Amino acid sequence: MKKIAVDGEKMALVLWILLLLAIVILNGMVGDWGRLAGGPDNLVRFFFQSLWPPDMSVLEPQTYPVCTAQPIFDFTCSTAWKGVIETLKIAFVATVFGMVLTLPLSIMASRNLSPRWISYPTRFLISACRSLPALIWAIFLVILVGLGPLAGVLAMTIYTVGYLGKLQYESIEGLTKTPLDAANAIGLSRWEVAVNVVIPEAANDLISHSIFMFEYNFRSGTVIGIVGAGGIGYYIDLYLRFLQYDKVFAYLIIIYMVVLIIDFISIYARSFFTEEEYLNAPLWRDVLIPSWIN
Amino acid sequence: MDSENSIVALEDVVIGYETESPLVSIPNLEIFPGEIVAIAGPSGIGKSTLLATIAGLIRPISGSIKVCGAEIPSKPLRGSLGYIPQKLGLVRHASVRHNVMLGARAGTNDRKERKDRVTDAIQQMGLKEKSREPIRRLSGGQQRRVATARTLAQRPSIILADEFLSELDEETLAMVLESVTSYVRDNNSALIVVEHDISRAKSMANRLLVIDDGRLNPFITKPKAVVLNS
Repeated sequence: MKKIAVDGEKMALVLWILLLLAIVILNGMVGDWGRLAGGPDNLVRFFFQSLWPPDMSVLEPQTYPVCTAQPIFDFTCSTAWKGVIETLKIAFVATVFGMVLTLPLSIMASRNLSPRWISYPTRFLISACRSLPALIWAIFLVILVGLGPLAGVLAMTIYTVGYLGKLQYESIEGLTKTPLDAANAIGLSRWEVAVNVVIPEAANDLISHSIFMFEYNFRSGTVIGIVGAGGIGYYIDLYLRFLQYDKVFAYLIIIYMVVLIIDFISIYARSFFTEEEYLNAPLWRDVLIPSWIN
Repeated sequence: MDSENSIVALEDVVIGYETESPLVSIPNLEIFPGEIVAIAGPSGIGKSTLLATIAGLIRPISGSIKVCGAEIPSKPLRGSLGYIPQKLGLVRHASVRHNVMLGARAGTNDRKERKDRVTDAIQQMGLKEKSREPIRRLSGGQQRRVATARTLAQRPSIILADEFLSELDEETLAMVLESVTSYVRDNNSALIVVEHDISRAKSMANRLLVIDDGRLNPFITKPKAVVLNS
């Protein structure tokens, strides 16, 4: 297929047309804009009557089981802390499992590495994992393995394969062609090309995407708890049922703070994998293997 | 020489990306062990495409190409064909050693032999101090030496090199050229090199071929004022 050259003016024109189209479609969907008139007032009333001030007692230790932590660390016995830690654990395990499963799948799905009879079925598999949100997978898996974090881990692992798989095979397909050509010409096998050329060449993108996926899994981990798949979502669901919105709001603030912290850490971690930082970034071997072994 | 001894044999080959617009036609070309063949011609005329076609990366529009007796591109050639593309084809985020190891990996299955070859090739190219550096931290000239070391560690029967001497200072150029030509001489290998510098091409090659008017011809001094042919 011939590639189309895109210049700035044509691109701007296309963007304007798309924006106009989106506005026309939105207008068709909303129909009567007048019915939105009372929305802001309702939101303000709901916010001040039900959400504000947030009830930060969710950070206080539970009465049962008895908290054995030092007084300064007694927040670690709170539902908020336990929920956040469990969600972080689920997100971490699901991201690691997802990464491990995704790597061979994304190599198999890349058209520049695999023949069509392998790449297309693998793409269908990756798309299937992505087509249902983690929440729906969690519902199925709660039925399969029962309530608790295992269902959460499995649901998010499946979704990670779907999402990360797509990001990674697109990265691999975007690699410069010459290293692959050189490796193919000298007769390296597909497996050798994948392990020795593709993975080192795409490592920055692969790692950056995986860090993003961890962030994403933490955020979606807060939702899957609602269906009983463990984590902070369980407590949010509990307080929603009792209409204790001030406590729900406190949880949302805590989730937001944790997401911010993860975001800062991931921005820092990902800074090693941007084009500008290449010169200063350590070699992967040096990061993974201590220098005294090297 | 007997055509059965040839390392590379092209017969009625037409190369190009599209059938409607062929770039070069080669009625017959044979390259024998120990030969250094330079291909010259103006830029964009199809020199690199010819090399990539012999390397099996592009299908010829028509004709037959045999490298070490194997039909290209249907039969893969593990280790017998060394290739240095114009853009070098190095793994930028990996170390010098990793890149040179790719050649050794293609050349032999013996792990110890691979390590020895890599160490030798890196030393020969004067990159010992840089062996753990990632490619992205090296200068253009150093990267060319890495690509050459990769090929030397592979020890192929035929080397295809696309302008592999550009960006090198005089001293390094002499060293790299000497290493490659002595490899070809000592191992009865062959080298096909694309070279835009016609005087350098003449000085290094046993045979100089020019692409002119869509055909690969032996170099003949013509009175016609085409720079490459004059």
